[in-house]
Amino acid sequence: MATGGRSIPAFPASGVSRRNVLRTTALGAGAAAFGVPLLSACGGSSSANGGVSASGLKSSLPDYVPLTGGVTPDIPSVAGVHGAVTDAGYLSYPTNLVKSVSEVPGSGGSYTGVTPLWGSIPTAGNGYYQAVNKALGANVTMTPANGATYNTAVPTLVAGNKLPDWIQLPTWWNSTFNVGELAASKFADLTPYLSGSNIRKYPNLAAIPTGGWQVGAWEGKLYGIPSFTSGQAFAGVLFYRQDIFESKGINPDDVKTADDLYSLGAELTAPKAGVWAFDVLSLMTTQIFNVPFGMFHAVNGKLQFVCDTEENLASLEYCYKLAKSGYVHPDALAGNTNNAGQRFYSGKELVGSGGTGAWNVMDAQQGQAANPKYKRGAFKLFSNDGSTPTIGLGAATSEVSYLNKSLSKSQIEECLRIANYLAAPFGSYEYTLINYGVEGTDWTTGKGGPTYTSTGQKEANEDTYQFLCSPQNAVSNPGYSDITTAYCAWSAEAVKYAYKPLFADFNISVPTRFATAAAAAELTDVTTQISYGTKTMSDYAAAVKSWKAGGGNALLAWYQTNVYDKYGAGQ
Amino acid sequence: MTITRNDVPGPGTSPVPGRDARDERGQDGKKRAGIGWRVRLRRDRTLIFMTVPALLLVLAFNYLPMFGTVTAFQYYDYIAGFFHSPWAGLDNFRQLFVDPAFWQAFENTLVLSFVQLVLYFPVPIALAIMLNSVLSSKVRSFVQAVVYLPHFFSWVLVITLFQEMLGGAGVFNHFLTTHGMNTWGIMTDPGTFKYLVTAQAVWKEAGWGIIVFLAAIAAIDPTLYEAAAADGAGRWRRMWHITLPGMRGVIVLLLVLRLGSALSVGFEQFIIQRYAVGSNAAEVLDTYSYYYGVVANNFGLGAAAGLFKAVVSLVLILAANKLAHYFGEDGLYRGKS
Repeated sequence: MATGGRSIPAFPASGVSRRNVLRTTALGAGAAAFGVPLLSACGGSSSANGGVSASGLKSSLPDYVPLTGGVTPDIPSVAGVHGAVTDAGYLSYPTNLVKSVSEVPGSGGSYTGVTPLWGSIPTAGNGYYQAVNKALGANVTMTPANGATYNTAVPTLVAGNKLPDWIQLPTWWNSTFNVGELAASKFADLTPYLSGSNIRKYPNLAAIPTGGWQVGAWEGKLYGIPSFTSGQAFAGVLFYRQDIFESKGINPDDVKTADDLYSLGAELTAPKAGVWAFDVLSLMTTQIFNVPFGMFHAVNGKLQFVCDTEENLASLEYCYKLAKSGYVHPDALAGNTNNAGQRFYSGKELVGSGGTGAWNVMDAQQGQAANPKYKRGAFKLFSNDGSTPTIGLGAATSEVSYLNKSLSKSQIEECLRIANYLAAPFGSYEYTLINYGVEGTDWTTGKGGPTYTSTGQKEANEDTYQFLCSPQNAVSNPGYSDITTAYCAWSAEAVKYAYKPLFADFNISVPTRFATAAAAAELTDVTTQISYGTKTMSDYAAAVKSWKAGGGNALLAWYQTNVYDKYGAGQ
Repeated sequence: MTITRNDVPGPGTSPVPGRDARDERGQDGKKRAGIGWRVRLRRDRTLIFMTVPALLLVLAFNYLPMFGTVTAFQYYDYIAGFFHSPWAGLDNFRQLFVDPAFWQAFENTLVLSFVQLVLYFPVPIALAIMLNSVLSSKVRSFVQAVVYLPHFFSWVLVITLFQEMLGGAGVFNHFLTTHGMNTWGIMTDPGTFKYLVTAQAVWKEAGWGIIVFLAAIAAIDPTLYEAAAADGAGRWRRMWHITLPGMRGVIVLLLVLRLGSALSVGFEQFIIQRYAVGSNAAEVLDTYSYYYGVVANNFGLGAAAGLFKAVVSLVLILAANKLAHYFGEDGLYRGKS
């Protein structure tokens, strides 16, 4: 569900969920325009002609040193194919909170941090902030900004020369923000501090898998600090109301094809009762129709447009058919994504697509407030014609933070020590402080683990420091272990079908002249509108034609010569 | 400083606050020509001093940002800034003028503006006249409060309300469904979208719009009504021959202003409903600038669209002002004549 993305800390891939929140709303879910791995337009003097992170990156990447000891997961990680790995699951929260960082990381410095937030902004200087800053030994002033308009706020900050000391930039906006160029001109190069064995000074950072660091690398150098690193970053999940399906005797596993899903729509829709089967499902139709992830795919060594593929056209046609079927809730078709969560909770729509982060404690609590029997379930992956499904594996993280270039060497080291503290693993004392706040004030021990008090709900419940840095994901839903079990089971199934999209390992900066084509705003826009039924396939064909002529073709040629032919597929 | 009666400059030395523009203009401007600008500067220094803060605000918030217009002529790179972005010449405009989406937005803006002019503009006038005819002051202030209120709602709220009432899952369509009738997709019909948004605008803003007209009516000399009534003029004749002519100046002024902002039909109202009816119906110049300029990180194009809009608006307002003069009204301003 689009609004289900508010996740409590300690839940996996909450970042991914946010990405999906935005993909489904602001960016649309068009295969043509999103998912280009870490693509960034770039116009700075250092890289006006574009560049690829892979060049020289091998020597800069930090060592990966997993932590030893710690809490043993109840549901261990499962490795799938093509590097997909599930996050470990914990059914209970440890009671003995072990300290993972022995000394106070900060040395009294003052820093400003800006992070996106999709929820209600906590009051500045609240008790939670004070407690965390005290533990950090530094004054990190967090200024969370509205996530829904973050893409327009960051360019303003930069243009006004008001960049904070530490800022988080969600990777799906890399091309909007020109992060490649920003990194070169405004952000601190962390390579000398973190490359190779240098990272071992910061054991918790060293325990973040390499994939996370790759996402923050630009032109062979390390700039970004990853949050919520995961080996199972999937675009989304097709959710359903498990309690209602059970009461109606519907077995979700019977849905094995796109047609099955469509006929389910007929079965569930009852306008007289105010019930419609679906939300707008475009986020997941690309998965169902096996649309290659990204803007290009390679066929026999030649790059081709994903927007032209049969899979993409079939997916769009299906979206349009759904929009016109009468099975989609009218409010969803009217573009009202804000109430999608409410519609799902109140049982007015029964199937929706959303990020994996929608599936957590907060969701269960909100849903049960509307209906005590509320239970969220997820369809197993299936493909349109019943063949073996596929699902694109996203980059290891979509939340990367950067340090301001103006910081001195000792300040950068202080920030990295702070990051090391923030990256303390699941179940540690530090992790609990950052995610739940102060015991007694922000949380108390409830059934199965920490439960927020009303103060904690307001102050500690939203991700703030976590978006500067956080450890590898762990699945934990204190008090709702059945969610953890169900989620881990879904993930273990999904990783079997993962594939790595083209250029997945690269951060690519395209030359300035391609910035507009790379953003592909008109394609995204038409794609979104098709899923609302307000534009047709012929509009799409026209938009593709004009996009190609207006830079798409040139962009493809540039990718072929400067990326694919030089560095390969990066998969 | 404490202001006492003694501080108020006497009539001989300095301007009297109540002095009327008519004194200044005299009969034919001769009087003004008689006083040198130095003398006038000295005489009016207090007034001039009083306008300084407003002048600074206008400079800081209206004129200074105009330099941002240079982005329309640049391949603007927000990281490099105005001073280091490469020049594009007229390339952004070339891109703009060949873009069918832009012309669609332009057409939509004009159509919406026209529909609102015809269907919205008369509503507050009619409301004001009706309210004015209510004699009980209690009823009048109650009605006034009720019609003002929606002005303070945000567009999100207004549209949600419309969606709840008229949307596909709203009260109206639910009634139709439960009574075996077909639903009517008022909120998602691109064809009637212009009337829908006008209806929303009327609901939200018409009440607020009556304030100026009520003031204009209040300024009409009541003896005129008494005289007309004595001469046997009925309610309608009084409205036609006294009230409407008395409001004419204000109506024309507002009309001129409205034409000047004909290309600004609103932003939120359209961005919220854009997906409901699609961009073919809901895209207006401002949302175009936002989507294709700000969101697409193509600031040059967005600025070009904005500049184009500003130039057209300027032409419109000048033309409307001329038209006002033609009808014998003052309009926004009059040049020296």
